[in-house]
Amino acid sequence: MEVRLEGITKNFGSVQILKEVNLVFPSRKFVTLLGPSGCGKTTLLRMIAGLEEITAGQIVFGDRVVNRLAPKDRNIAMVFQSYALYPQMSVRKNLGYGLRVRGTVSADVDAAVERVAKILEIDHLLDRKPGQLSGGQRQRVALGRAMVRKPDIFLMDEPLSNLDAKLRVTMRSELRRFHLDLNATTVYVTHDQLEAMTMSDLVAVMHQGVVQQFGTPAEVYSRPANRFVAGFIGSPPMNFLTAARRGNEAEAGGGVLSLPPLSDDATKAETVVIGVRPQDLEIVPVSGNDRLKGKVSLIELLGSEKLVEVDFVGVRVLVQVRADFPVKEQSEVFVHFNPDRLHVFEAESGQSIVKRATL
Amino acid sequence: MHILRHLQSDRAVGLLFIAPFVITALFFMVYPIAEAIRMAFYSYNPLRPDLTAFVGLANFEYIFEDPLFWASFWQATVWTLLSILFQTVFGVGLALLLHRALFGMAFFRGLLLFPYIVPTVVIALIWRWIFNPEIGVVNYSLIASGIIKEPIYWLSTPAMAMASTIMLNVWKYTPFVVICVLARLQSVPLELYDAAKVDGAGTMRRFFDVTLPQLKEVLIVVIVFRTIWTFNKFEEIYLLTKGGPGTSTFNLAVYSFEQSMASLRLGVGAATGVVMMIILLIGSIVYLRVAGFGENEK
Repeated sequence: MEVRLEGITKNFGSVQILKEVNLVFPSRKFVTLLGPSGCGKTTLLRMIAGLEEITAGQIVFGDRVVNRLAPKDRNIAMVFQSYALYPQMSVRKNLGYGLRVRGTVSADVDAAVERVAKILEIDHLLDRKPGQLSGGQRQRVALGRAMVRKPDIFLMDEPLSNLDAKLRVTMRSELRRFHLDLNATTVYVTHDQLEAMTMSDLVAVMHQGVVQQFGTPAEVYSRPANRFVAGFIGSPPMNFLTAARRGNEAEAGGGVLSLPPLSDDATKAETVVIGVRPQDLEIVPVSGNDRLKGKVSLIELLGSEKLVEVDFVGVRVLVQVRADFPVKEQSEVFVHFNPDRLHVFEAESGQSIVKRATL
Repeated sequence: MHILRHLQSDRAVGLLFIAPFVITALFFMVYPIAEAIRMAFYSYNPLRPDLTAFVGLANFEYIFEDPLFWASFWQATVWTLLSILFQTVFGVGLALLLHRALFGMAFFRGLLLFPYIVPTVVIALIWRWIFNPEIGVVNYSLIASGIIKEPIYWLSTPAMAMASTIMLNVWKYTPFVVICVLARLQSVPLELYDAAKVDGAGTMRRFFDVTLPQLKEVLIVVIVFRTIWTFNKFEEIYLLTKGGPGTSTFNLAVYSFEQSMASLRLGVGAATGVVMMIILLIGSIVYLRVAGFGENEK
């Protein structure tokens, strides 16, 4: 089922939470709403679910406007951050609740519950109460409750945030697998860019109630539309250097760097911000074009890699190198800025001004 | 050795901290109860202390053979059950209403406490005026609005007197239920309601499947407390009807008072108190077992 958001606006009193959100989630895709807390992503999800009033705009499922439909009439299912399992009901009752409420005959409810419990490997827990389950088990029950009704649209509000780090990694791939089995459109809310990158077909990066960029994980990673997206996606975060631009070159960090081709309407921008990921920088022994001279101020070992902090004139930059790369603290090094790997943003608006036809 | 001394001093400090409560409780709770139990086995007339004598179970035999004791027992049961029923229903209903975030709700929440704060004696006297068949405001309003033609004798027919005392009790103690339920309601996770909405539950199902199970524990506690307090209640009935007309609104507390103070049979009064204590003790234990209190914690 395709989900279309057309000019969705939400006000709480005089505070505008969402500003004219326009998005199309293609049928059966795994779409993630990604952003820091307070960006409006959960509100948007709740509006899709029908749990929150829409101030302006419309939400369309397939070819049906659902603005006025109650949650139960939208054929959606939702997994909540706190799981929201009914504490007095057994796992079996929790799983079958939605079906029973809709008047499904009990033989069919039992069959559906058994089927889902088997898929999620919780069939041995069916007679327990939620209070007797671990966090991971509760999470599975919450998923099962959503899956049992075969919804058109699957909504998930930070479902992994209450799990420990290790379980979160396993559940990521499981959720992705369930999504593929279910044939439903999944809308997933998270503030964790790693979850968004690993699980999604499409990512909508949100900030202050505005969609900053909507695209595949690869697109938002390698062609961020603005400085916010560039800084939010990727770990460790992107380096930013303010630079004075002259034609296709820029002065920054005590040297001159070549810029990638810029879009035609960018000719006016004199002050720009250059963004470059730590993985895209290289430490080299000798001077040359597009290389800045600096001093290593700190080295952090991450395991297979290490992060080298290099001080240039007035700016610090992180460079990620292999753990066995020979470099010492306080030594002088040259860092190579490959123009193809640079992102350039207008200083004032933060919009990307790089001209790139394809990836 | 050092550790042992450390433990001992800890224990001494602990004892010191609980001592004020223990001493107070011994004086004001344990001693009177023990004294009441002792007195239940004695014949004691305060005007003739020289005739005080141990009589064994005679006081108990007396009350069990007294038709007024049994009448009082059944009246107390009716009065308690109906009072608790209405208090719980109204209490939950009002709490649900006051839980809504509407304009001015804070004011109403404050106002609701009013009956609970005002002393019973004041309320009972006011209610006697309100229920006065000739000049009371209740009859006046009912007649003026054409609902009744003849005045209702609120406090002077047995059934109406019982109804009036129940009404007073419900009016005064419903706020207690409201406060307890409201406090619990405010801690029910909102996501449960959202989940129920998505699952397709309407307003009624959300109440029975989400709200009520969450209220279960608090309602069990409230009902136990209210039952004990209501069953033992003396001043409301005595101040409003004096147990009358006749003995139609006697409960066991009023019966005990009449035996002790009017008939000066303090032993019989004390025996009644002991019987009440045993009834409530057994009743509370059975109720807590049946209602499954504390099951979720296991």
